[in-house]
Amino acid sequence: MSKKIIRLCYRKVIDASSQKVWDQYIFDSTYTEFLMQSQFYNQEKKFTTFAEILHNVPAAERLHFLVSAAITGYLQQLNGIVPDILNNLGKHFLFFKNYRFEVINSDIKNKASHQVAINFFSEPLLWQDTINGFLLVSPVGAAQTEDGVRTDLVQLQPFLSIYSLKTAEG
Amino acid sequence: MEQSRKKFLKHFLIGAVSAPVILEACKKTDTTSSASGSGSSSGSGSGSSSGSGTCSVSPTETAGPFPTITPSSLVRSDIRDDRTGVALTVKITVRNTNNNCAALAGAIVDIWHCDKDGYYSEYGGTSMQSVNYTAVHFLRGRQTTDSNGLVTFTSIFPGWYSGRATHIHVHIYNASGNSLLVTQIAFPEGSSNAVTVVNGSGGVAYGYTKGMTGYTYNASDNIFSDDTTGTELATVSGSLSGGYTLTHTINVAA
Repeated sequence: MSKKIIRLCYRKVIDASSQKVWDQYIFDSTYTEFLMQSQFYNQEKKFTTFAEILHNVPAAERLHFLVSAAITGYLQQLNGIVPDILNNLGKHFLFFKNYRFEVINSDIKNKASHQVAINFFSEPLLWQDTINGFLLVSPVGAAQTEDGVRTDLVQLQPFLSIYSLKTAEG
Repeated sequence: MEQSRKKFLKHFLIGAVSAPVILEACKKTDTTSSASGSGSSSGSGSGSSSGSGTCSVSPTETAGPFPTITPSSLVRSDIRDDRTGVALTVKITVRNTNNNCAALAGAIVDIWHCDKDGYYSEYGGTSMQSVNYTAVHFLRGRQTTDSNGLVTFTSIFPGWYSGRATHIHVHIYNASGNSLLVTQIAFPEGSSNAVTVVNGSGGVAYGYTKGMTGYTYNASDNIFSDDTTGTELATVSGSLSGGYTLTHTINVAA
């Protein structure tokens, strides 16, 4: 059977109920940046929610990109490790270099409705097997040892998905 | 993640009333992760992983990394990133019309402009950004005016694209981030001026290959054509080899 190479996507949703310090920094800094940048698309202050701005000013789609400038420094603090997602030994194991930031909802008058998501795209993994709701994966290019290749077990869970799939050669 | 766990838990509560041990494990996950800052709470439950496979393990790692408050990556004076071209220093002075046009200190100034080929930084066709590719917001920057109302950016001379004269976008905010003015800066024209020189034969060596054929001059530009008094027109001096300096004064009501 041919091996499959996958990239996992973890969609981390951050909102007013987020508890972790890093998440709260993201929440605060993206709301501040949203308040600033959204004024360009809402110069007459006719709209209050992101949905209204987007509906009336389609170019406001750029706000996803523009607001993402607020999180660059925080992403670098993660040292390339996808947060929250653990292997079944309870350790962070997923590495990322790529992400995509989204503003889900926001409101210039109500910070509590601000909600954003960071999609973390994992580095490529070899999908070795599936065991009782867990994916058995190993990093692409991982060294072969006497015992074979090192693997991680990761549980299928909400907001974690397989982003891309290709068949490994050879 | 908290939210997803809560939803998950809620789901679970409905489905499996008869599994108090597993529920306890899940609760533990919730409280430990909310207590920790960085998402790597330590010392939480050995063996909170249940055998059922419906409940995830808790983090069991040394705490860290510890997040620190970091300004937007737009806050910088050198906005070039990986973009090349003829050097351009942008000096913008902001004055307050509500204070006899005295210099306005502490105003936040955002600028952005296109690269030598006429492209802006934005989400591209691929849906992923790379965290290593820090140039993702190239030619966009933010500075706060000093006591003379001045901000300075290090950049490259903007190229041009169909339908527009060469320009720089400016958004000025007060210190609280409230918008004071959205405007654009126009460049002087004429055979000896920078726009003509940079886009002429001398600029080819710096990568400006479009020439001036099809260029939209200020008089035909839909933003600048009504600026008959030249209030949006900057002063530009310098040379190809030495780089250019753009100076401009913008009045706002703050």
